[in-house]
Amino acid sequence: MPLHLTVNDEDRVSVRDPLTPLVDVLRDEFFLTGAKIVCREGFCGACTVWVDGRPVVSCLLPVGLAVDCKIHTVESLSTNGDLSVLQKAFEDHDAVQCGMCFPGMLMTLTSFLDREPRATREEIKAALVGNVCRCTGYERIVDAAFSLASAG
Amino acid sequence: MNSLHVATSVADAIAALADRGDGGAPLAGATWIMRAPIRKEQHPRSYVALAKIDELQRVELLHDYLSIGACVTHARLAAALAPLPEFRALAVAAGSSANPAIRQMATIGGNLCAAGFAAADLVPALICLDAQIELAMPGESTRVSVEAFLTMRTDLPHGCLVRRVMVPRTTYRSDHVRLTLRKGGDYPVVIVSLAAELGSTGVVKSARVAIGSVETTARRWEKFERLLIGHPLDPADVTEKATLCADELHGREGVEAPGWYRIKVLPSLVGRAVRNIRGQC
Ligand code: FES
Ligand code: FES
Repeated sequence: MPLHLTVNDEDRVSVRDPLTPLVDVLRDEFFLTGAKIVCREGFCGACTVWVDGRPVVSCLLPVGLAVDCKIHTVESLSTNGDLSVLQKAFEDHDAVQCGMCFPGMLMTLTSFLDREPRATREEIKAALVGNVCRCTGYERIVDAAFSLASAG
Repeated sequence: MNSLHVATSVADAIAALADRGDGGAPLAGATWIMRAPIRKEQHPRSYVALAKIDELQRVELLHDYLSIGACVTHARLAAALAPLPEFRALAVAAGSSANPAIRQMATIGGNLCAAGFAAADLVPALICLDAQIELAMPGESTRVSVEAFLTMRTDLPHGCLVRRVMVPRTTYRSDHVRLTLRKGGDYPVVIVSLAAELGSTGVVKSARVAIGSVETTARRWEKFERLLIGHPLDPADVTEKATLCADELHGREGVEAPGWYRIKVLPSLVGRAVRNIRGQC
């Protein structure tokens, strides 16, 4: 049975098995390759997307449970080619190394800073415990996020 | 193709599960079940999804107890308990388990039903708070203690599901401490949940202590509880008593920590829980 989804404010239909991890549908069926597949265990956060505004790991969400939900991927963050403020901050702080973790970092931190716009460095680090950077560039990632939180 | 039935009510879920018999299983937050292939486990022929059932999403503070629907996530539970210090052990467990994204997905019912997951945070917290589980099944519902549920959870009758968890309101003070190998975002190698009722002079009138991740299944630690009664909650004293009682435990071997290590560090965590509880007084 086709599964009707709303992804980045567009209606989409998946014909995959309802137990298929959402990340596989996003990448292989809809060609939204921003969310990355790394651990498939919920530990690394590279596959983080928003489901009804909440950051979740899409490797552990069966697509059948995402029907009727609003899904947003990292591709939705920029508008008309303009980077979001956090994407811009990452660029300004030269935070990107291989970039594998970045889609997840952006989805987690964008949502977190929306809720906690005056977050401390410690709070930003705590928010990132489910996002692993294998290039270990954490300090510059935290610097970038903190630059927004402390910007006033 | 795997089939997924998205149930719209508890009655619908019970009927769908009963209909599927051995070939069906309930699906809540899915964070444990979606990793079945990694554990080399087979999915059943069909799952019955519970996530869209409104009744299972409710957290209600009633006169005598807190009622938590089976599909309440860790994140929602932590938020609901933040203003309620009487459920401190559960609030800490819900707010610190795994990582923020998993807490948005994993549910209290799933945590209780994942028999292979020894490091579930909510389970020892619920044991120490003396919670009951309401099971719904065709034509009836029944209540069992968490400890009883743990002995029967792999063998539930067809059509049976966890409907809600009921946590009694008491004057106990409680806390939940966990040791992870990384500072955050990790599963704990040892968990201690401790609740105590203190008399006016500060001595322990009654206590419930549960340990998780040490053995393959969380358990109540009654031998140790008995040594607390009639004494003040002194961190050094309870650490010593926990060391004395630890020889009855069977430490779980795991890639992240050997069994002996879990038992060795357990008394220090008990001491930490007591220190936290004293800080609440
Ligand atoms: S790939 Fe989903 S958390 Fe790592
Ligand atoms: S930049 Fe390489 S994994 Fe983070």
